[in-house]
Amino acid sequence: MTGMKITTKKLALCAVLTALALGLSTLENLFPISLVVPLPGVKLGLANIVTVFALYELGAPSALVILVARCLLGSLFAGNASALIFSLLGGFTAMLVMIALKQLPVLSIYGVSIGGAAAHNIGQMGAAIITLGNTMVLGYLPFLLAVSLFTGALTGFVSGLLFRAMKNINLSH
Amino acid sequence: MTSRQSPKLKPSPWDAIVVAAVIALGVFVTVVFYGGKSADHDLKCVVSAGSKTVDTIALRDAAKAPIARTYQGNGYTLHMTVTADGVCVSESDCPSQDCVHTGTITRSGQSIVCLPAQIVIHLEGTANSGPDVIVG
Repeated sequence: MTGMKITTKKLALCAVLTALALGLSTLENLFPISLVVPLPGVKLGLANIVTVFALYELGAPSALVILVARCLLGSLFAGNASALIFSLLGGFTAMLVMIALKQLPVLSIYGVSIGGAAAHNIGQMGAAIITLGNTMVLGYLPFLLAVSLFTGALTGFVSGLLFRAMKNINLSH
Repeated sequence: MTSRQSPKLKPSPWDAIVVAAVIALGVFVTVVFYGGKSADHDLKCVVSAGSKTVDTIALRDAAKAPIARTYQGNGYTLHMTVTADGVCVSESDCPSQDCVHTGTITRSGQSIVCLPAQIVIHLEGTANSGPDVIVG
């Protein structure tokens, strides 16, 4: 069980990353790209930068904890319980795909991030079908997938910058 | 924190496989969803709230004058305008306003979705046409 041991430093880092993800989500809501691309649920996914970073830096279990905490707190702060199913389903699908893609050493952070962004949209589409009880929303999926190529690449780029900047910082000690 | 694994920071040619997979999925859904759809002739607008169809309006009925309808869902109100050429949500008090920003839909298979109000407006037709593209 040594692998599961949570140090105070790791716990603090998880909390800071959760707060950062919440902050990025709030920031993103102030500048909705749906004004430019009028598709329901379309987002830049800035909080995904934190998820990608946590996945590589802390591993899948911690990244998953941060994701769930971000979704629950985000929904609580926004006072929008119906948004919870969208963020959780989207987040879980993205996380599963990124964990799988991360196992392929030939892929860069861009490939993992693009796969995660596309999976996030697929998960949210599933949530929309469950919520609306209507499969007509599937018509938006091709456009959301097209947008995810851009947003995934952006997330990968910013995460890459973050890893480069942190090259000389060791968070594990 | 032994789980640290440094990612490849530069794009790899193998990333193209992920991009290709996403594009292939998008094309597949487009073909399945829009491929066999009828279009542009005898269009009718189908309004659904949840899984229930609440209204159906033939666009030809709006040939002489636009038809305005109001729907309520989940505490929000949508004002829909039907003309002979298409359908749009002219006004809504939902927070996202995605339904209003979608603009006018004119082709079979297209839909306007208001997630906060949980209302879907969908166009159906009777003749065959190819896939439709709303956003490039």
